[in-house]
Amino acid sequence: MAMRSLVAIVDDDESVRESLPDLLREFGFAVEAFSSAEEFLASEVVGQTKCLILDVAMPGMSGPALQRELQRRRSAIPIVFITAHADESIRPRVLEAGAVDCLFKPFSETALLGAVTTALRAS
Amino acid sequence: MESQLSQVVDALPGLVWTAQPHGEVDFVNRRWREYTGISSDAAAGWAWQSAIHPDDLPRLLDHWRLLLQSRKPGEFEVRLRRFDGVFRWFLIRVLPSRDEHGQVLKWYGQNVDIEDRKRAESLLTEEKRLLEMMARGSPLTEVLDALCRFVESATPDSHCSILLAEPGATRLQFGAAPSLPASLVDAVISLPLNAESGACSTAISLNQQVIASDIMSETRWQSSGWCAVALQHGMRACWSTPISSRNGRVLGSFAILYREPRTPTTLHQNLIEQFTHLASIAIERSQSDAALRRSEEFLAKAQQVSSTGGFYWRPATREVIWSEQVYRIFELDPAVPVTLELIFTRLHPEDIPAFEEMLERQLRDGTDFEHDHRLLLPDRSVKYLHVVAQATRDQDGSLLYVAAVQDVTQQRRSEEALGKLRSELAHMARVTSLGALTASIAHEVNQPLSGILTNACTGLRMLSAHPPNIEGARETARRTIRDANRAADVITRLRGLFAKKDFTTELVDLNEATREVAALAASELNRSRVVLRTELAEGLPPAMGDRVQLQQVILNLLLNASDAMSGVHDRPRQLVIRTEPEGGKRVRLSIQDVGIGLNAESVDQLFEAFYTTKAEGMGMGLSISRSIIESHQGRLWAEANDGPGATFAFSIPCGAENGTVVEGYGVVSTPAVADAEQIMGSR
Repeated sequence: MAMRSLVAIVDDDESVRESLPDLLREFGFAVEAFSSAEEFLASEVVGQTKCLILDVAMPGMSGPALQRELQRRRSAIPIVFITAHADESIRPRVLEAGAVDCLFKPFSETALLGAVTTALRAS
Repeated sequence: MESQLSQVVDALPGLVWTAQPHGEVDFVNRRWREYTGISSDAAAGWAWQSAIHPDDLPRLLDHWRLLLQSRKPGEFEVRLRRFDGVFRWFLIRVLPSRDEHGQVLKWYGQNVDIEDRKRAESLLTEEKRLLEMMARGSPLTEVLDALCRFVESATPDSHCSILLAEPGATRLQFGAAPSLPASLVDAVISLPLNAESGACSTAISLNQQVIASDIMSETRWQSSGWCAVALQHGMRACWSTPISSRNGRVLGSFAILYREPRTPTTLHQNLIEQFTHLASIAIERSQSDAALRRSEEFLAKAQQVSSTGGFYWRPATREVIWSEQVYRIFELDPAVPVTLELIFTRLHPEDIPAFEEMLERQLRDGTDFEHDHRLLLPDRSVKYLHVVAQATRDQDGSLLYVAAVQDVTQQRRSEEALGKLRSELAHMARVTSLGALTASIAHEVNQPLSGILTNACTGLRMLSAHPPNIEGARETARRTIRDANRAADVITRLRGLFAKKDFTTELVDLNEATREVAALAASELNRSRVVLRTELAEGLPPAMGDRVQLQQVILNLLLNASDAMSGVHDRPRQLVIRTEPEGGKRVRLSIQDVGIGLNAESVDQLFEAFYTTKAEGMGMGLSISRSIIESHQGRLWAEANDGPGATFAFSIPCGAENGTVVEGYGVVSTPAVADAEQIMGSR
């Protein structure tokens, strides 16, 4: 059996960190969740991550800031942004900066799976 | 012997006479003859009657005949004519001399001059009569008229007048002149009031007596023509004396006029002194009565205009005395005597227990008090009254309340209307503020919704697996419920803030209220990259007020602080919300930012309506916040920080633990809140 792709989730909301990994695991992915961008950067999974599901607004380093930091580090992890904010102006900005997709909470299982699949293909 | 006795009797200084048993006078002594100017022969028998005043003669003769019949000693008072025609009062004492059988042998008489005593008696009687008139409240003109008439009767052929002078007046006013021609009086009072305008004007102007003994030869007052007017009316002498008040103010003049040249005697001067004094009492009394009447009218009018009445309450005797205005407020007939029972018939039934408690307490404590209650009138209309009473002691030391009762119905109705308007305005502002939070609110709801959706999908997948993952599905269901509750909490908080309701007073945990607002705004603050720190004092006493309106103020201050930091890029956008007790009776909440700070020139305008520094702001937020805090009897202010930014803070009174319960309708925790409630019209 092929090694399962690692999907990392960075979100300060605990309920996301609880629910999203379970769903993705149901689809067969390996999942790691982090409560902040700083925590993710400090972890050992940065190099193995095939897809990063990243919250936009967080205390400390924000999602787009992490995106920039990864680009600075020459990391090509495909990123799927998720946000509970209704402000849609964030979407073109992060896409322009190279994100695979930007999903607005609450999003459907299909939309999530589609975005993750696209990301994995890109990686 | 007899001739010797006659010589002695003749030489006596008193008036002495003798008469036969049947009354025929047979001897009058020399002094008698000298006084009357009547010879012994002309007085003999019954001829002496010509010396008696005709008004007194019939009475005297009746009395004398009775004595002759009864053969007893007696006395009578009559006026005897002097040789020059002047009558003086005499007391005639008569003694019979009898033989051993009791038969009268001779009558002996002695006449004693009692003119001075009679005069003094008459003056006293008149003075008493005039004082009685004043005490009875007779009009001033009647008293002065009677006074003039008496002086005229005591000084034959005289004419008296009293003229009045108001302070600063330029003309004299008529007082009394019962026997003077009106044309003379009119001519005199039409002259200007100065020392050139005749005897009375001069006496008043110089405050000294003016004697014109013979007007014909007067050289004074020529310019005014006063002498000519007096002479035209046949007056030749005028003595005018100023009438002065106790403190020396000239009230008018008292004048005696004669139709022939005359100079006042000591007798005249005594009369003048006594009657100008009486006139001054009458005038002063009348002036103070008028002032009192004016003052009473003014008070009554003021009471009516301000809908305020006054009353006395003597708890020991249960006696209550109302002013007219209180009767008007209670809509009762002023003829009805006031009793506590009567008051109870008008009290609003709901306010009776509190009223009874108040009575009991005041009977027990005897201290100053304030009390609010309502009246329910027979037409079912309701009045709101505010009573303020001061405890005093009367002469015998018993408790006496002096109180004012004000009809505040109109005020209360206006306050209610104003309170409604304020609540509506506050609601509008709240909805507007919440509009600014839409994104934040969406975030707060989207977050749990997202969790719900993800968990539901996960749960379905777990149940569809072979074999189904029951335990995993159960866990996702649990999380679904948790997230749904979280969304419901957000909605509940929002519903509270969107609700439109009147000002209500309750105990508010300011810390809890702050946490809720912070939770609602958290996402918005987060989006604005604001770091919020809360420093909420433990064990903070609850505040008294309207929870939603207080939260509105906190939200407004929080969003303002966040906005103030939107241009800050060189330092963390830190915002601190702090609560703390303030001096035991108040609590304070402050919000400190590190934003643009305060402009010294505009700090005064900050709280004015329509003042704003924001492009999209209406400038209502702080103005409404201040109005809300002031209606809580609190204070809202702003100050610059030592470092960058500003601190906005408010302080409001604590709730019931620190307050007192006030009688009357509604429950009030502290005087401050009572006022706040009055302002908001919440009762």
